[in-house]
Amino acid sequence: MPELAHQAEDGRLDHVRECPACAALLNRQRNLALGLRRLAADWRSVEAPARLESKLTAAFLGQAGLTVLGPPARWWVPLATWAAAAAAMLALAMFLVRDRQVAPAHRTISNRVQLAAVEPPADLDMLGDSANVEGDFIPLPNAARIEPNEDLNLVRVEVPRSAMIALGYAVSEDRASEPVEAEVVLGADGLARAVRFFE
Amino acid sequence: MTPNLPETDDELLIRMRSGDEQAFVALYRGRQAAIYRFALHMSGSATVAEDVAQEVFLALIREECGFDPQRGTLSGYLFGIARKLVLRHLERGRPDVALETDLESSALPELVVNDDPLADLIDREGIEALRRSVLALPRRYREVVVLCDLEEVDYGEAAFVLGCPIGTVRSRLHRARALLLEKLSQRWQHRPGAMALKPIRCLI
Repeated sequence: MPELAHQAEDGRLDHVRECPACAALLNRQRNLALGLRRLAADWRSVEAPARLESKLTAAFLGQAGLTVLGPPARWWVPLATWAAAAAAMLALAMFLVRDRQVAPAHRTISNRVQLAAVEPPADLDMLGDSANVEGDFIPLPNAARIEPNEDLNLVRVEVPRSAMIALGYAVSEDRASEPVEAEVVLGADGLARAVRFFE
Repeated sequence: MTPNLPETDDELLIRMRSGDEQAFVALYRGRQAAIYRFALHMSGSATVAEDVAQEVFLALIREECGFDPQRGTLSGYLFGIARKLVLRHLERGRPDVALETDLESSALPELVVNDDPLADLIDREGIEALRRSVLALPRRYREVVVLCDLEEVDYGEAAFVLGCPIGTVRSRLHRARALLLEKLSQRWQHRPGAMALKPIRCLI
């Protein structure tokens, strides 16, 4: 307990006898020590509710069942799993290599875009030199030049009429959102080179 | 004939870890009361104390905190887990100084009445006031009083539980007792017919 008690035991009781303040303090410290001891003694019988033991014992048995009492580990189980997975992958690869024929390039054409022609129309010849574009095909700004003998595709699409503005057409404001059919010349790289509109 | 000595905690723990239910039950019965009381004194709540005791032994079952006999006793290890759980509860839901308790009077032990004229604290009212004063101590002081004075844990083990030097345990205990005297003095001053106590100071 507090220091005064020790000091008293050390033979300094003489001072405590002469000093009422220290005597009172020592007395209070002794009372506190007694009170704490009594509190500890009275609470010694306090313990956790009995239900806790059964809950924890069940938890222990469950845990022991998982970690200790469970079946011994079989070293070959993961190995067999990996082997089966590898065999399945191999079979799938063989199937894909042997049975699948090379399919022609497939075009996905939306319902609003249709392939207009496999072969470019005759009037595309003039696109060989974008500077000499005639007719209604308009070279697109910043598009690459079409090389001689380059494979070309022509697709027909439907675009908002407002797209024509960028190419110099006059479009009234009230018809800007209307769709208009157009043919777009695609180069071998898949990029658009020229376009013409159908009124 | 070899006397049948009780098994140590370490021996019980080894058996428990090999799945021996009896060893677990023996360990639980030997340690649960102190852990429960510690949590009860610290939190003032029987519900919290039960939860804490449950979590402490679940941690032991699951070996979550990795008890190492080289670093301390099993008792200190369990008190350490309980302390962390109680502090988590206090930080989450309550102020540092708990003022309310959900202890029912039926849960409290019957106290012995004593006529000792020196022991003002040894009547039922005095002990209850002391318990409340302990509960109202700031957390760092409360835990040393509960461990060292109420659970009679030695200073070395308390230092292990609290993760601080023994000197810190001593100084906190000294301060905690001074705070308790202060709180109890206030109570005595408010008793009917009590003499007003003046602060005392003496250089010896």
